[in-house]
Amino acid sequence: MNDLSFSVNAGERLAIIGPNGAGKTSLFNLINGQFSATAGQIYFFGENVTDLPTHRRAYLGMARAFQIISLLMKLTVLDNALLTIHGTKPHRYKMLHPVKEFKDVFEKTKHSLKTLDLWEKRDELVKNLAYGEQRRLEIGLGLAMQPKLLLLDEPSAGLTREESSDIIEIIKNLGEGITALIVDHDMDVVFEVAERIIVLHYGQIIADGPPESIQNDQMVREIYMGAEECLDPVNI
Amino acid sequence: MGTGGTQTKQRRWFVNSVVVVGAFILVANPLYLSSYGEGLMTRFLIFALFAMSYDIVFGYAGLLSLGHAAFFGAGGYTVALLKLHFGVDLFWISAPFGLLVAVLTAALFGIIALRASGIYFLLVTFALGQMLFSLAWNVKWLNSKGMQGITGITLPDLAIPGFTLDSTWYYYMVLIFFVISGMLLYRLVHSPYGLALMGIREDVSRMEAVGYNTWLYKYIAFVISGAFAGIAGILFTYYNFFVSPNHLGIATSFLPMVMTIMGGLGTLFGPVIGAAVFIFVENYASIFAPQRWPLILGGLFVISIMFARDGIGVYLWRLLNKVTQGYGSIKN
Repeated sequence: MNDLSFSVNAGERLAIIGPNGAGKTSLFNLINGQFSATAGQIYFFGENVTDLPTHRRAYLGMARAFQIISLLMKLTVLDNALLTIHGTKPHRYKMLHPVKEFKDVFEKTKHSLKTLDLWEKRDELVKNLAYGEQRRLEIGLGLAMQPKLLLLDEPSAGLTREESSDIIEIIKNLGEGITALIVDHDMDVVFEVAERIIVLHYGQIIADGPPESIQNDQMVREIYMGAEECLDPVNI
Repeated sequence: MGTGGTQTKQRRWFVNSVVVVGAFILVANPLYLSSYGEGLMTRFLIFALFAMSYDIVFGYAGLLSLGHAAFFGAGGYTVALLKLHFGVDLFWISAPFGLLVAVLTAALFGIIALRASGIYFLLVTFALGQMLFSLAWNVKWLNSKGMQGITGITLPDLAIPGFTLDSTWYYYMVLIFFVISGMLLYRLVHSPYGLALMGIREDVSRMEAVGYNTWLYKYIAFVISGAFAGIAGILFTYYNFFVSPNHLGIATSFLPMVMTIMGGLGTLFGPVIGAAVFIFVENYASIFAPQRWPLILGGLFVISIMFARDGIGVYLWRLLNKVTQGYGSIKN
């Protein structure tokens, strides 16, 4: 990161775009706590989280869907869901009672999986699901954590047009209580859901504003030169 | 295994009957076995417990530890030292002390070892185990006069009026410990904690991102694992009437590892099956091939990895699934 500083408003849909290597995933890793900041501070709803480990940040309300699907491949859909929903609950340390006894979590999990249309497949190993289903599950589980901040790292990567529009719908229906930061290369997705766009280049912010101003920004067009058409969703 | 999914009725019925038959056999053993056979079964139960404890740290938490005998031996040595230096025979003093020492050792070693991961973790656990081995070898206070190790251990005194333990009653005592430990460990791995442990084994950073303090989970697994290894070590010392530095070092540390891998990692029945195979092959092979039996055991280990990579126990489980599915379809 190169002297990077910005703030996000609660409830905002902020997209972060930039060429490969611009530092988008690194930025998410910093926000999430997977990378430690060598300099600077990170504040989350007024609290300084710079030195907090990832799991503490998750507890405070950060959820993340990773660029490379990071579900637990060798476990079932149900186990993945149960684990995610238990993650911020105090009884995740309970050792003497079977998981199924925790009815409230189980009901919540069932509800989430049914909403994602994956309840029927709950005993399938995640590695046996179709890629689109895995994506849907990962994002859906991030939502099930009821986060205040949802970090979506290339949610539409590898998806068909149809699957991408499902993802767009999910993001649009997030509700005001959730702030969403989205990194994506698919400009259709970006321009559909973003209220504000930040453009990153070599770890620096070179543009920050609503979609229309970004589309018309000279420096941004230069950086995407050669792929200039991509910034104009209508031309795809 | 996790929540085990939604199991078919047939499978559940079959598992339950295996458990019932197994329990019956275990309880009835002394009726038809010679004292040698009884001793063998006692040895099997002790090592099955030792292997199950190892499955928690390796099979479920995914931590490859090469120093698990440190806790086994710590429990055993405490009992032996209390007898040697303080003449303590009372089980209700020796055993709790032994367990406490095993737990403290695991608590200490866990903090040291978990600063590392992967191969470095393995090396640290190995080094810590060998350190205890070296202490036991060299420190006079830790040995009987003029010997390597501590002899003169007898079966424990349970302070029940009019009752003295003999080897048959000791078999039942070990059986009770095995069953209770098995039940506790079963609950542990099916609990939210157990599920989290499996998640951590698969992908630490995802689990962190979802809210789990992964270091703490691993540490707790390490200590619990050490506790049950300690119990096995205590029981083994009474069975053996003797404890030696070898019971702290790599020679003993690799045993639960082989048994667990052979039987099936991350399932609690796998280590039990692995222990059974190991103990019985060790016994019979050493009768028929007194010099070559380790070769036979080694060969068996290699073959089981080649043909039943996930473990003999898991292989049998899958066979069972195929059979019950086949039965189900025939029935229909």
